[in-house]
Amino acid sequence: MDLTLTVKQKAIRKMARQFAENELAPIAREIDAERRFPWEVIEKMGAVNFFGMQAPRKYGGAEVDSISYCIAVEELSRICAAIGLTVSVHNGVAVYPISVFANETQKKRFIPSLAAGEKIGGFCLTEPNAGSDANAIEATAVPHGDDYIVNANKIYVTNGGVADVLLVFTSVVSEGVKRGMGVFIVERGTPGFTVGILEDNCGMRANPVTSIILNDCRIPKANLLGEEGQGFKIGMIALETGRIGIAAQAVGIAQGALDVSIKYAKERIQFKVPIARHQAIQMMLADMSTSVEAARLLTYRAAHKKDKGESLSGASSMAKLFAARTASQVASMGLQIHGGYGYSKEYAIERYFRDARVTEIYEGTNEIQQMVIARELMKTSS
Amino acid sequence: MKIIVCVKQVLAANQIKFDVKTNTMVRAADNSYINPNDLFAIQIAVQLKERYGGTITAVTMGPPISEEVLLEAMALGVDRGMLLSDRRFAGADTLATSYVLGMGIRKLGDFDMVLCGTESTDGNTGQVGPQLAEEMDLPQVTRVEKIEKQGGMVRLERVSDGLREVMEVAPPVLLTISREAVSLSLPSLLDIQDAYVDKKLDCFTLDDLEADEQKVGLNGSGIWVTGLTQVPNKQKRCEFIKGGFRQQVQTLMEKLREKNLID
Repeated sequence: MDLTLTVKQKAIRKMARQFAENELAPIAREIDAERRFPWEVIEKMGAVNFFGMQAPRKYGGAEVDSISYCIAVEELSRICAAIGLTVSVHNGVAVYPISVFANETQKKRFIPSLAAGEKIGGFCLTEPNAGSDANAIEATAVPHGDDYIVNANKIYVTNGGVADVLLVFTSVVSEGVKRGMGVFIVERGTPGFTVGILEDNCGMRANPVTSIILNDCRIPKANLLGEEGQGFKIGMIALETGRIGIAAQAVGIAQGALDVSIKYAKERIQFKVPIARHQAIQMMLADMSTSVEAARLLTYRAAHKKDKGESLSGASSMAKLFAARTASQVASMGLQIHGGYGYSKEYAIERYFRDARVTEIYEGTNEIQQMVIARELMKTSS
Repeated sequence: MKIIVCVKQVLAANQIKFDVKTNTMVRAADNSYINPNDLFAIQIAVQLKERYGGTITAVTMGPPISEEVLLEAMALGVDRGMLLSDRRFAGADTLATSYVLGMGIRKLGDFDMVLCGTESTDGNTGQVGPQLAEEMDLPQVTRVEKIEKQGGMVRLERVSDGLREVMEVAPPVLLTISREAVSLSLPSLLDIQDAYVDKKLDCFTLDDLEADEQKVGLNGSGIWVTGLTQVPNKQKRCEFIKGGFRQQVQTLMEKLREKNLID
């Protein structure tokens, strides 16, 4: 068993870290405060393949391995979680399912501009009455000639305000009979397609999370991803692997929170010494660091399993559950180390604290991950 | 245009560890990377290749792990890497290093230019470029900021004493490249993927180079390091100015004047 990164993976970490420090660090605080999507860095991110990390090479992707993908998401999130989120959702639950389930025509049509970052991807599953219970979606697609008439009210769509290509989950209904879930590749600008309100979220504020409304939208049959009835499976596979990216994002947030906390603890003088010399602070830092490392290893393990083609059987859920909790706990402990200053927007830890929390909720809440893990346990133990 | 770029693996500034017994620095995979000054030489070579076509070969001398800097150079647009590695090369000063680099470059046949960084960030001698030019009997220009092909000649610009010098030189030539010459760009994931998977590397030992054993490593070095001690880092100090607003401003002005920061 070899737990060391390859030279290529180390080079990818170095590049992603430099990119994040050069391009994202100077704007992270400002874009959070202004709730602004930083278009100025998107083109630069496209040029170094952050939008087509695992997409097939022949469509402009970089086809890096899943551990490298995690490393890149982690490094971007370490500096700016909202951009880490944009990248993770775009690659993990938009480009990835298209790469796996689309036919050749669809791949040729959609992947190149997504992989180049010229277009941004989104994933529309959640509705007001269907979150964790994905089967309860009320969006419908009714076959009509060469099209489907799609009606949907999707909420909490990450990248919603800027996404050009979105996967929309619907229930296909033909002559009043439900034919299972269908996923459509929907382009912004299609008549009947509206971007709804921008969510005023607690964290990840630079990411334009919105609702997406489709009102009698005519979506060509050529835009159906996979087959009618395959939607639930596509969604679950996308989320199962997408979770690895969210776990990596949570590891990045936790690492970032730990880094700023160590820096602060070495600078802040109380009782005539830097607080890092007080055992109470050292113990917190030690626990934080241990959790971050454990979360990272679980995440890389899930990524490794994916690359080996092994069944993830709960591995991505374990990684996501543990990493998300770690991000929340580490950010909270980091804020504690900062004391009163940590509660002010003057220090970055406050942003990490807000950004971390949602990792326990989106792409499957902690409780859904626990359900998945438990289900696997029931299957495997006699 | 056939370009050769010399690169060195250096230690990350904040991770330098000394072995007090052997007076040498401890090198390991996790604390080494490409000399930042060499990146400017690589970047300008890539620009020249884009403009005039040709090939770029990166050359380094070091332990097998130095292959990493060649891969890094290839991710940035270098075509091939040449690793000069042999236990007998160890302990080399700049003279012995220049000799080995020269022997390696001779194996590559004709070329138009050899580019080097101005100096390494861990040795700071700035000697290898000029010594290599002497070793290979090449004309040399240091701290070059601009390179253009002009007919059979190469037109160069460098800044010295506040004056811009323009000169022409007939290739082959050795140039050290100023940090002002180009702005650096990062490799893409695809560039890294290609460089680290294809690994277009050749490794040469002392015997492959048919080099003189007396001219390499410690044997070939004119300078032996007899002592090495760590210099403590300068500590930043923070001082809080006390008193009322006017008092604080007055104290601040006095302190700035003391340090000659204001008149």
